This record gives sequence, C-alpha cells and structure tokens, in this order.
Amino acid sequence: MKFRPFRLSLLSLSLLIPAALCAVILFLLIYSAPAIGFNGLGFVTGITWNLGDLYGDPVSVRGFTVPNGADYGILVFVTGTLLSSFIAILIAVPLSVGAAIFLAEAVPHHIRPVLSLLVELVAVVPSVVFGLWGIAVLIPLIGHYVSPSGNGYGLLTASIVLALMITPIIATTLLDALLQVPKENRESAFGLGATHFEVVTKAMMPMVRTTLIGGIVLALGRALGETLAVAMVAGGALNIMPTSLFSPISTIASFILTQLDSAESDPTNMAVRSLAEIALVLFVITLAMNAGAKLLTSGALNVRKRQA
Amino acid sequence: MKLSNLLSRSTALRSGVAALALAATVATAGAAHAASTLVETGSSLLYPLFNLWVPAFTAAHPDVQITTTSTGSGAGIAQSIKNLVQIGASDAYMSDALVQHNPNMLNIPLAISAQAINYNLPGLANTHINLSGPILAGIYSGKITMWNDRAIRAANPGVNLPAHVIIPVHRVDGSGDTFIFTQYLSDSTPSWAHSVHYGTTVSWPAVAGGIGANGNSGMVSAAAANPYSIAYIGVSYAAPAAKAGLGVAALKNALGAYVLPNPATVGAAASSVVTITPPDERISMIFAKGANAYPIANYEYAIINAKQADAATAASLRTFLNWAVTDGNASQFLDQVHFLPLPAAIQTLSQTQIAKIK
Repeated sequence: MKFRPFRLSLLSLSLLIPAALCAVILFLLIYSAPAIGFNGLGFVTGITWNLGDLYGDPVSVRGFTVPNGADYGILVFVTGTLLSSFIAILIAVPLSVGAAIFLAEAVPHHIRPVLSLLVELVAVVPSVVFGLWGIAVLIPLIGHYVSPSGNGYGLLTASIVLALMITPIIATTLLDALLQVPKENRESAFGLGATHFEVVTKAMMPMVRTTLIGGIVLALGRALGETLAVAMVAGGALNIMPTSLFSPISTIASFILTQLDSAESDPTNMAVRSLAEIALVLFVITLAMNAGAKLLTSGALNVRKRQA
Repeated sequence: MKLSNLLSRSTALRSGVAALALAATVATAGAAHAASTLVETGSSLLYPLFNLWVPAFTAAHPDVQITTTSTGSGAGIAQSIKNLVQIGASDAYMSDALVQHNPNMLNIPLAISAQAINYNLPGLANTHINLSGPILAGIYSGKITMWNDRAIRAANPGVNLPAHVIIPVHRVDGSGDTFIFTQYLSDSTPSWAHSVHYGTTVSWPAVAGGIGANGNSGMVSAAAANPYSIAYIGVSYAAPAAKAGLGVAALKNALGAYVLPNPATVGAAASSVVTITPPDERISMIFAKGANAYPIANYEYAIINAKQADAATAASLRTFLNWAVTDGNASQFLDQVHFLPLPAAIQTLSQTQIAKIK
C-alpha cells in the first residue's frame, strides 16, 4: 500500500476525539469499580448520601473498607438533574422557537444580523455570571413574589437560569434551519392562500423539525451537565426529595463540584470513587438522551418519507 | 520553504520548549538564585489572612515567592499530603486515620478563629438572641421548626419571637466551618453525635425548606435573601454579615453561660485548652470548659508535609511559617479578619513542629 501522510495524519487526528472519550470512560470505570461493587443497585435508588464518619476508624462492610456509616445514594441528585433540565427545556423551547421565527420572518433583513448576534452573545456569557444574576436578581424576586415559603433557592430558580443559558442554543440552530427553507416552499404556501401564520406553522416548521429536535438535544446536554450556575442557585438539597417547584434541589454535576473537597479527606477513598460513579451515571443519562433523540429524529424522518 | 529553514525553526522551537521546561523545573525545585516558590491552597477562611501576610512577608524576603488560592480545607489537606502544594490551609486538623496513613504530615496552628451563628429575624437583628447546641441541633435536624418553639422561648425570656418557620442554611461545599459547627452540635448534643456526627460535610438530616449555600459569602447572601433563616458563618465575614442586617446569637457554652463571639470570649476558649494541647497540636477547642469561653472557636492550621522536595524549599517554608506564628500574629493582620493570636505556649509548640520540616 502506498504511504499517504496526509490521510494518516487526518486519521490520527480524527481518532483523537473518540480516543479521549474512551479514555475518560475507561478511567471512570476502573476508578469507580470498588464503589460500584460496594454500592450495588442501591446507589441509584437510595435517597441518603452520607460520607460517614471521616474522623473515626474505617470499618469493613461486606469486604469493603469504608468510613463508619458511609451510605451513598444519589436518587435526589438524579431527580434534581432530570427535573431542572426538563423544566428548563419546557421554558426554553417556546422562547427560542418564538425568537427564531421572529428573527427569520418578522425582522427587516438589515436588522436581523444585529439581533441574531445578540442572541448568540447570550450563549457565550460565562455560567458564573448567570449564577450571580440568579442570586442577585432572580432569587429575591421569586422569594418575595412567587414562592409561598419566601425561599427563592430551588428547582424553579435553577430551571429558569438553565433555560436562559440554553435558549440561544436552540434559537440559533432553529434560525439557521428556518433561513434554509427553500423560497419556493414559502411562496407556494402563500400562493395557495395560506396566512403568514399558516405558512410558518404548516410549511416551514415541519421542514425544520429534525433540526429543532437536534437543537433541543444539544441544549439538554448543556442543561444536564451545567455545574456552577446551578450550584449557586439550586439550594443544595441533601437527603430530601423535591416536592414542589420551590423545593431546594441538587444536580449531579453541582453535587460532584461541592462534595469533592470533603470526599478527598476520606482515608478509604470510597467517597471519591463514589463521586466517579456519579459521573458515570451522568454520562449514561446524557448518552441515553442523545440516543433517544437520534431515534426520535430518524423516526420523524421516516414518517415524513412515508407521507411523501 | 527550504528544508534548512524548517530545521532551524524546529530547533528554535525545541530549545524554546526546553527553556520553558527548565524554567518550570527551577521554579518547583527552587534551586537557582536561592529563589523558591511556595504554593498555598485550602481554607477559604484562612485565604483573606494569607492575602494580608504574603505581601508583607515577601517585601522582607524577596527571595521567596508565595501563591495563594482558596479551594477548601479538604483540598488543602489532600494536596499537601500529595506534595502538590507546600502549604495546605485547613480549619480542621487531620483525622487520626489520615495521620496514621501519612505519618509525615504536620498540623501547625497559625492563628485562632471563631464562628458566629447569624440569623435573619426582622426587628431582632440587634437583640442577640440566646441559642444552645441542643436548640441548633433541633433546628438543623428538623425537630425544632418554629422560631417561637418552646425551647427557644425558654432560652430567651422577654424576647418576642415570631411564629414563623425557621429556614436553616448550611454549606454545600466541604468546609472547615461545617466541621467546627457540627463538632459543637456533637459535643453538646449526644443525639446529634450518634446520628449525624461531624465533618467538613455531613449528611444533613432532611429539613423541608432548608437551604444549602456555597462558601461563606454564599451563606451571607442566602441568609440575607431569606427572612427567618439561620446560618453559621466564619467571623472573617462578620462585616458583610452585619451589613446584610443579620443578627449574632449568644451561644450556650459548656458551663451554661450564653456568650457572644468577641476577642475576650474566644481568647477564653483558647486559654482553656493551652495546657492540654498535645505536641502534634491536633486538638479541638470547641465547647471548651471556661466560664467565659465562646463554644465555636478553633485553631486555623497549616497542613505541612515534613519531607519537602529539597532543602531550599524546606528552609523557605520554615522561614515563612516562623514569621507567620510570630510577626504574622500581629494585630495589624489578625484584626482585619477578626482572628486572635496564638498564646505563647502554643506558639512554642508550633515552632517546635516547624523545625521538623526538612
């Protein structure tokens, strides 16, 4: 075979990304293996998270050396992550669909680049700024006027902050797709006597459905993994399941961030290994969401093909 | 481009990389020009003090560079054990199990700190309500839920306590403040000691409406944003807490007196443990037995690996730590962060430990 330096270098570069991903998964698997053995299935169904007595002598439980009283259950954090991300999507989708349609259809051509740039700029604001805004503006607002208990920290605040962070992701993907819709489709719809509203909802939106779902998946990935902004406004629930929109919650990513410091003082290392196991769970959740979305979009495509 | 050009460019690049690598080695080893860099990380409570110390110290010792970061006591201990940093700052001393695993580690007190119990009670900010360990344990475990609970009223005769649900605020990040607060609850309340115990994070009992906040500044803003909340906040943050309109509680000490955190009461707590402080200086002054002793006071520790990478680093480290426990304990530094100086006997013990750094 002929030696092809260009192709080889491209191949090695393109393999770098999957290799890094595999390395991360492999590391998490190997590092958390003792925790997976110790925690078993109770890990994802348990509500109690207890590092145990880090200052007493470690004890042996079922052959594992752990701090006395150690009990790692993450249902609270999984619930908090899923709830806050889904509510954020519920808030963000109408906002971003509206914004994208407005930018594509209702804004004069020469203003559109300026406005869409502004939307894109929201996406590059660092998450700590969103967190600060949440603490300084949103929490007092929700605490005083919305929350029955007067407490502004919790599920609703975290979801709104997340929604603002992901709206530009969905809006810009959708806007690009709307602008790609062939002129002929729009104009023939108008020619058939459709109103502007009907043109958008019946002629244009069905064509960009796949892109919209793709944008939502991207946004969901961001929301599931967002760490700092959520840690600042979520209220850091521990050992307690959310019961309302105003309950404090914890998400998986923010919990790893805030617990790592204490986990490091565990002489048996089981706490850090359990945190690695949480990361693995987050990874599985994100993967499942992506796979689900892939199925959904391919399904949507098939339906359209059959209709055509 | 000619081959020779390419070659010379890559040689230049390579020597550049080599120079960088060399610079990095020199910086960590601290061999060249006797200049050494000390890296400090850990406690967010000690961080403001290090920021006052470092400019003053390096002005007198230009051959030593010190960088400081605020990461958390747990990170301070962990990274010092791994020899990633020279100074690990911690509000908590190392556990027996950790010391057994790492016999080279020294726990050296640098100064004395305390913690206030702050509350957001409209109209009662200047009243200094009385609270005890069992009352606080009741609040943080969800057994006492109302401000006008019988136990709180009994401790505060004549105070008009509101019929409102208490919002307990705790730290979500690993924190020496959580360590000393839960140690007070454990020492004063057997049921807390048996169920929750103490640590830089604990498994907080489920309290409906309880809030977790990040860092001491997060505690201040969470308490300020939530009327009828209660929070434990390091005294370094006394000024922002007062500015946010938070009240300071008087706490019941081991001998039954209600005392406010101030230099006299924190000093009383320190002097009550001076004579029983062991040579490795790992001792709690929480719930100290002194008539006027404030119950939540503690030594602020430098966690140091006695075996440093080389002699020059060890020498610089000894110089800095000796300076910190003597000149660094001057009121010009400590007053700004509301810390207290080490008693003379403890200063001597610290210096004996500092001499072990090789």
